[in-house]
Amino acid sequence: MAKAKILVIDDDPDLVRAMRLRLRASNFEVATATDGYSAIASAQKEKPNLIILDLGLPVGDGFVVLDRLQNSDSLAGIPVIVLSARDPQTNEERALKAGATAFFQKPADNDELMNVIRASLGEAKAHRAPWPS
Amino acid sequence: MTNHETTNVLLIEDNPGDADLVRLRLVEGQSPVKVNCVNRLSDGLASLTVETPSVVLLDLNLPDSRGAETFRRVIEHAPNVPVVVLSGQDDEALAMKAVHQGVQDYLVKGNISSKHLERSIRYAVERQALLRALEISQKQKIDFKNQFLSHVSHELRTPLTCIHQYVTLLLDGLAGPLAPDQGDHLKTVLKSVNQLHAMIRDMLEAARAESGKMRIERRCISMGELIHQVAAMLRPTADEKHIGLELGIDQRLPLVHADPDRVLEVLINLVDNGIKFTPPDGAVMIQANVVEADPGSVYVSVSDTGRGINPETKNLIFERLYQDPEAVDNNRSGLGLGLFICREIVRLHEGRIWVSSEPGQGSTFTFTLPVYSLPKLLSPVIVYQGELRPAFVLVRVDLIPNSNPPRGNWKETCMRALDILSRCIYLDKDLLLPPMGMAGAAETFFVVASTDLQCAGIMTTRIREQLEKLEELKDKGTIAISTLPVEFLPEKADESIEQQVQTVADCVSQMVLKGLERKHAPAKSAQQVN
Repeated sequence: MAKAKILVIDDDPDLVRAMRLRLRASNFEVATATDGYSAIASAQKEKPNLIILDLGLPVGDGFVVLDRLQNSDSLAGIPVIVLSARDPQTNEERALKAGATAFFQKPADNDELMNVIRASLGEAKAHRAPWPS
Repeated sequence: MTNHETTNVLLIEDNPGDADLVRLRLVEGQSPVKVNCVNRLSDGLASLTVETPSVVLLDLNLPDSRGAETFRRVIEHAPNVPVVVLSGQDDEALAMKAVHQGVQDYLVKGNISSKHLERSIRYAVERQALLRALEISQKQKIDFKNQFLSHVSHELRTPLTCIHQYVTLLLDGLAGPLAPDQGDHLKTVLKSVNQLHAMIRDMLEAARAESGKMRIERRCISMGELIHQVAAMLRPTADEKHIGLELGIDQRLPLVHADPDRVLEVLINLVDNGIKFTPPDGAVMIQANVVEADPGSVYVSVSDTGRGINPETKNLIFERLYQDPEAVDNNRSGLGLGLFICREIVRLHEGRIWVSSEPGQGSTFTFTLPVYSLPKLLSPVIVYQGELRPAFVLVRVDLIPNSNPPRGNWKETCMRALDILSRCIYLDKDLLLPPMGMAGAAETFFVVASTDLQCAGIMTTRIREQLEKLEELKDKGTIAISTLPVEFLPEKADESIEQQVQTVADCVSQMVLKGLERKHAPAKSAQQVN
């Protein structure tokens, strides 16, 4: 079975590197983007099965990215997990309303994050299957 | 207000003679005035909606409103416009009351000179402007502080996340094997990272508590379960220090009406403190029971065998930023916000928190939470003017996920639906009971309407309309709303109102436990979305 691909969008290259290592160790394929503009281009090119998205991004913040993902026929079905340092009390509801599957505040518990990634992938496969396998 | 600026006066006065006299006195004054005179309160309020005058001169007895009601409605309608009351000789007491409740000044009709009137208006305008400026500046100060804290917290979290990620990468062996010593050193780093994280969280929590923005979402919860959860979480920390963690939970402990996440926060804080301040081979004990003298509360206490607290500092430890001056050992005790946050959480639940301690004998922190009591929750809606209402209507809302197990973040969807429900009810007429049932994967909410079927129907429509707007429910689940009128047994002459409420509550809780069987619901009207 092909590995599931995860697109990590975060403007902190050090964090992106660590996420890549961790996700690869869990047998995922990883693509990355560091700003809002290239995030959409990467999503279109890489056709990921799941996206991990930071909110504070240059060139179009996380909410702009969420909005553009939701408004794209080919990208709308991809589950998006928001991973942000911002206050959940003011951002979580907004992110979920904008189409995110889950919200994690940084620093997030690795096991919890991994569980939600696996659950979202299983679900996407069963109900949406955004890309033909 | 300078002498050259025109003062716009809205005069609300129904007596033509009095109105003319006031108008004359105004024109006689030194500064230019424009007077708009109306003789009914409704006209005055309408005028206030269209334009904002410099001041309102208000007679209290008008054709459509009398007495205190008159100034209250004006202040409510235009809180930033200064009001000067025109009172008669015989109602100065009422005018004084008006001044206490936000009116700037009063003038007694018949004694009004133009100089007097001009000065009163000028002072009223000045004072109102000062009050407004003060209000704005206080709000700005709080907003600024919160913004600053939120910003700092965000900026601190970013590098902290990076450290956290790399330390856990190393500890999980994802960058190659570690020598035993290296693993231990990294665990120390991780512990400090977690401490920093907790401090950042506390800082934001304390700011929220201070500005009244801390929220709680109450449910019907078991204290015993929460205590077991905390014990499981903190046992490794206790074991590490060779501290015994003992539990003493009363078997007949009633359920409490509280926010489980917040109560967990309080417990973790107290138990963690207990472990921190107890020397090795000591013990921390968590107890929960009911006290005979106060059956409406559950008492939860955390005792330790530490060095205790000085009597002088006992009252200070719940204050913000309090640090025990004697705790300058190797324990890094944080920002001194933990107990302050605990107190605020307990307060929001209308509970109490205190500490009893003897130096050298350990300390016991105790807090109370209200017992979940259906009669207590129900009584505000089913008792009206000391009488039991003859009937009321239960509205039940079921959220049913499209698949089993539910897809996506179903818990989150339910929480948001509950939030919508709570905004659909009228606080003075209806009551929202906390979620009570879990029928399979479906979440069930009950709303109790206090009034007749027609009112319940209106509420049902309101709830349905609002829930239909919940986007994620559209693709994840359906809504079913049913209503059920509840009639009571004929009143027994010898029963007190409390006993009657208890009878009704028993009847409701039986229905709830039975899951509101369909055969009992003659007025059922199910509505489906999707």
